[in-house]
Amino acid sequence: MNPQILTSLLKFPGILAGILMLAACASTEPGCPSPQTRNLDSAISFVKTSLGTGCEAHFDRYYDDLLTIAEGDPKPENKRIFSEFLVWSGDQGLLSTRQAQEYYNRFFNVKFMAMKGDYNNCSHTCPNKQRVLLDMERELSDKERGLLKVSQDPEGYYRADRLYQEVELVLEATCTACTASR
Amino acid sequence: MNNKRPLAIAPDPARRKATLGLLLAGMLLIVAQTVLANTPTIRLFPTTVVEDLKQTGNVARDMETGLQEVIGRLDQQQQLYVESKCDGAANDPGCQRLARQIGATYLEMLTIMEERLPDMEHTVNNTRISLERGLRNELGKKMTPWQLQETLVGKPNTSAASQSSPTLRGRSGMRLSERFKTYYQLVATSGSRGDQSLAVLASDIYLDMEETSVLIERTRQEIARATLMEQLNQSFGIITPEMMEVVGGVKTILFGDEDPHALVAGPPPGSVEQAYRSPLEQ
Repeated sequence: MNPQILTSLLKFPGILAGILMLAACASTEPGCPSPQTRNLDSAISFVKTSLGTGCEAHFDRYYDDLLTIAEGDPKPENKRIFSEFLVWSGDQGLLSTRQAQEYYNRFFNVKFMAMKGDYNNCSHTCPNKQRVLLDMERELSDKERGLLKVSQDPEGYYRADRLYQEVELVLEATCTACTASR
Repeated sequence: MNNKRPLAIAPDPARRKATLGLLLAGMLLIVAQTVLANTPTIRLFPTTVVEDLKQTGNVARDMETGLQEVIGRLDQQQQLYVESKCDGAANDPGCQRLARQIGATYLEMLTIMEERLPDMEHTVNNTRISLERGLRNELGKKMTPWQLQETLVGKPNTSAASQSSPTLRGRSGMRLSERFKTYYQLVATSGSRGDQSLAVLASDIYLDMEETSVLIERTRQEIARATLMEQLNQSFGIITPEMMEVVGGVKTILFGDEDPHALVAGPPPGSVEQAYRSPLEQ
């Protein structure tokens, strides 16, 4: 290092301390690698260990990794495995109950999390109809992954697809009726 | 000798199980009925809507009957016009006579429509307004999006309900009166359906009524203009392309498309395994 820079850094101990702290953090942060196994149970064990050793911030990526691994061996049993993993995550304080529900239902339930709300449809859903439908469309592709590709539940996925179409039709009619001033 | 008779018949375990089973089944039935009775039912089809649908079907049938003969005659005259190679021979006296005949029949069609459309408009509007009120109150104001979704999904494992879902959007390729007759039948037998079917059915009929209502309004406006134009054309014996277009349009609306789209088969149903229910599921 340039001796001049070192001298000036020594003049400002605060800056030096900050740099040293950052360097320390960088050296202790785990790599948080993705699971390399193709076996879902082993992958879940690996992910649980990683999440428990400082990789909590990578939860989304790990969840995605697990889904990808499960796609390689689709079976109805996978629903339970993911549910238990999410319950464990909640128990460990990695996720709140709401978050765990969101993660599960978005992928493995026929009903759409995008259609949640505490107010009536005329005042809440209709003014945001396009956004709600767009969110539902995105969620449908997650359901395709969770229900069809991971859990081998085509019936569930087709029901979700039909539900999306029915919601589209019913919302179109209901929102037209809500705005009609007759 | 012991003549003592047993005070009670010794309990036979098999019989006891059967009795217990029957009792349980009876209790379950009562509980199920109570639950069903307590389930809030959405009121989307009051009696007035059912009657309005029936009335609209009748008016549409009357209009079709009146127009069928005229449109048939118009088709024959057009065919004769084409076969006589009148296209591009507008100055030929015979062709001019034919064109005037076609124009007169066209005027007749417009007159019949003008007479019948107000009735049609009235009944369609009544149905639309009733459904509009029901949809706004029952689905729009009384329900949150999640409740609406739950209504549409229905209760789990109600395969009978999903099988009885109405076929939607079967508008083209169907006579107008048949369409209303189908709607009427669907609504009249709606007691056996779940709320999920009713919400979809009401939405479908309402949107159709909206469309029909706008179409009738526009047609009525056009009839006045077309009548005037044709009265002028009568003096020259001209067949305008617009005339043919209008006749084609009326035929499509009243009698359905000639070449309806083939239905595409759905994906195969999935394996009916016992579904897993997560404690996280909502």
